[in-house]
Amino acid sequence: MRLLVLSVLSVVLMVVDARFDTLKPFRSQLGLVLTPFYWMADMPQRVWIDMTQTISNRSELLAENEKLKAEALLLQRRLQKLATLTEQNVRLRELLNSAELLDEKVLVGELIGVDPNPFTHRILIDKGENDGVFVGQPVLDARGLIGQVVEIMPYTSRVLLLTDSTHSIPVQVNRNGLRVIAGGVGNPESLDLRHVADTADIKVGDLLVSSGLGQRFPAGYPVAVVTEVTHDSGQPFAVVRAKPTASLNRSRYVLLVFSDPRTPEQRAAEAAAAQEQADQQEAAQAPEAIGTAPAANPAQGEQ
Amino acid sequence: MVGMHSRNGWVIWLTIGVGMLLSVIPMGFMEVGRPLWLALILSFWTMVLPHRFGLARAWMLGLAEDVLYGSLLGQNALILTLITFLVMTLHRRLRMFPLWQQSVVLLVVFGLAQLLQLWLYTLSGNRPPTLLFLLPALVSALLWPWIYTILHGLSRRFNVY
Repeated sequence: MRLLVLSVLSVVLMVVDARFDTLKPFRSQLGLVLTPFYWMADMPQRVWIDMTQTISNRSELLAENEKLKAEALLLQRRLQKLATLTEQNVRLRELLNSAELLDEKVLVGELIGVDPNPFTHRILIDKGENDGVFVGQPVLDARGLIGQVVEIMPYTSRVLLLTDSTHSIPVQVNRNGLRVIAGGVGNPESLDLRHVADTADIKVGDLLVSSGLGQRFPAGYPVAVVTEVTHDSGQPFAVVRAKPTASLNRSRYVLLVFSDPRTPEQRAAEAAAAQEQADQQEAAQAPEAIGTAPAANPAQGEQ
Repeated sequence: MVGMHSRNGWVIWLTIGVGMLLSVIPMGFMEVGRPLWLALILSFWTMVLPHRFGLARAWMLGLAEDVLYGSLLGQNALILTLITFLVMTLHRRLRMFPLWQQSVVLLVVFGLAQLLQLWLYTLSGNRPPTLLFLLPALVSALLWPWIYTILHGLSRRFNVY
């Protein structure tokens, strides 16, 4: 009898949890109580990393230092180039009268647990609702997109990885802008490109970047590199596989991106409005200012 | 069950806590065969102390496991309740069996539970692609004699009843 009651209760809970949002707060509160288990389970690894850092020998450290210096040099060279490009970009944007944010705000999170179910690819990170994380937020690492937040708890959140078999992301071939959808297949090293026409211009080695079409991921972040293209005349579509650029099963630190939810048009309109307001304020202040100000104002307006 | 005098209940809670810890510990490539720790520990206590262990408690623990795993609320609750119910119904017979025979019976019980799990996962849209999802049942059944010995020793040592 009790079994019956509890079973019915479980089924009802499952349906409610799957269909409605009413249980979310309850769940996130319980999560707050239960996530320490993940912290504790992760502790040995944390301690191990700390220990190896303390007792790793001098030559190893020197070698690593050398390597990092070389890497820094390379990155700096690229940064120099980037600086001019950024400046150019800003100037061009000014010409277009839109003040788009170039850098999206980013928050660094640390991995604290991996989903125990081997058939789903989800991880737990140590940033949650109190840090401003929201459901659907894109997550990346140093080399590319990792996935998106699917569940938030007060101090932790769960991230669904790109390679989970229930996840898909709209991407673009960086070389020619061809749009495709990359879906996970449950293998951390592989993504499946769905419905690619047999005649499509796609080659092994092509970089796939997020296209931003799903309104979920910001455009332009690297996602994967094409590793295999098979044309089979018996199949309606070409079989294309790609390898994620991010190290999905190795990175310990992830970046949470806060991108602007507004569309480019909205942003442009708002920037124009802000500019207008600033101009008006300046104009209002101008009579109080002395002599030369009225002469300077029109010039500024034209810029 | 309510008025029943009990002693050293903390040992039970401690083992359950350890079980929960073990069920989220990172295991690398052995992830596929992660034993059903909570189910194993619950089965032991249900078998040894059926008067202390109710279905309601199993259900609550299952709910905790759901939150821990991020699965649908009620999924693991249903499964743990089912396992506890089966073990409770069989506990007199189980206690007569030698350890290996208990393992065989539990293999069937856990196998059933995993099948139900498969069904529920399929309903929620992420079906495991291979028959490997049955591996945890096998691993758990193989681990049973050790779990039994350890927990039995504990319950004797601390006189839990």
